[in-house]
Amino acid sequence: MGAWMSRVWFLMFPAKEYKIVVVGLDNAGKTTTLYKLHLGEAVTAAPTIGSNVEEVVFKNIRFEVWDLGGQESLRTSWATYYRGTHAVIVVIDSTDRARINIIKDELFRLLQHGDLEGAVVLVFANKQDLKDAMSPAEITDALSLHSIKNHDWHIQASCAITGEGLYDGLGWIAQKVAGKATTS
Amino acid sequence: MFSLFYGLWQHVFSKAEFHVVILGVHKAGKTTLLEKVKSIYLKEEGLPHDRIVPTVGLNIGRIEDANVKLVFWDLGGQPGLRTIWEKYYEEAHAVIYVIDSAAASSFEDAKSALEKVLHHEDLQGVPLLIFANKQELPAAVTEEELARHLHLKGLDERPYMFQAGSAYDGTGIKAGIDWLVEEMERSKRTEVLMARTETAEKI
Repeated sequence: MGAWMSRVWFLMFPAKEYKIVVVGLDNAGKTTTLYKLHLGEAVTAAPTIGSNVEEVVFKNIRFEVWDLGGQESLRTSWATYYRGTHAVIVVIDSTDRARINIIKDELFRLLQHGDLEGAVVLVFANKQDLKDAMSPAEITDALSLHSIKNHDWHIQASCAITGEGLYDGLGWIAQKVAGKATTS
Repeated sequence: MFSLFYGLWQHVFSKAEFHVVILGVHKAGKTTLLEKVKSIYLKEEGLPHDRIVPTVGLNIGRIEDANVKLVFWDLGGQPGLRTIWEKYYEEAHAVIYVIDSAAASSFEDAKSALEKVLHHEDLQGVPLLIFANKQELPAAVTEEELARHLHLKGLDERPYMFQAGSAYDGTGIKAGIDWLVEEMERSKRTEVLMARTETAEKI
């Protein structure tokens, strides 16, 4: 009954769809983040070869969320997904201090891409449940987020396995791209 | 020949672009102010103030007013986020410092944060608009009272103005921004930044 009502509602009041691309290094937690948002449960994810795409509906806003493979050989193809993107989610493994500079370089490379000119940037400081995780403040410094002056940006502590912080982050994107209510 | 005419065309018709940082302590109303600015100048509805979440990063607003383009950088005001402020100073033409004039308990924090802003070498001589926000609330103090409370040293080294207003209902915003634009247009700081931009473009 609920599903039927929901279908009727969307037929009467179709939600606009917004495109999000999720990037980050391999093992950052991008796929776990996507499926926690899509299914509401933690999945055991294998390394993504290519991409995963799912629809996430949040507060009557439809998001088409593209999770892109993070291995080094796959990063060059990220740009092929950028067209029509409203928001970029950068997922960071907060324990991976050794590679923070690599994702920093990737982030600034993608921000120079013309197709992302109007996109907002959300950084998930993921794996906050783990000991020795960098704080959002540390990650802000390490990524030089303060050098971003042409895109709205926001950093959100998260844990993709428990879902902590994920909807806060998505709420920020919703507020930015749709100007919608994001607080319950 | 074409480039000569193109250069002339640009000089006559292009609008100067100014960067304005919006600063203030947590819950002063910075993002609400930015949203109201957008709704006033862009004639489109900004976010309702009860839907605004605390800023942990940067919100950008772009407007055009008469012969200028304004880019606003609205930064988070929580104590842990204030270290980010100074990273935006170097390219700023002006500062809007927002104070919740109905929250006397926050004045001391607002004062010490503003003093740090005023003494930063990257902001020497930068025009400053102190926006005494939330004037719609009964507990709000006047701009004169606020100036007395803050009792700031170092203000005379720059153009500054106290503007009472409300980011909630929009009062005082237009007057404040008109003053700011006027000051930016004749500020030495602007000349320096414009020259730096031109040099960078040539390179």
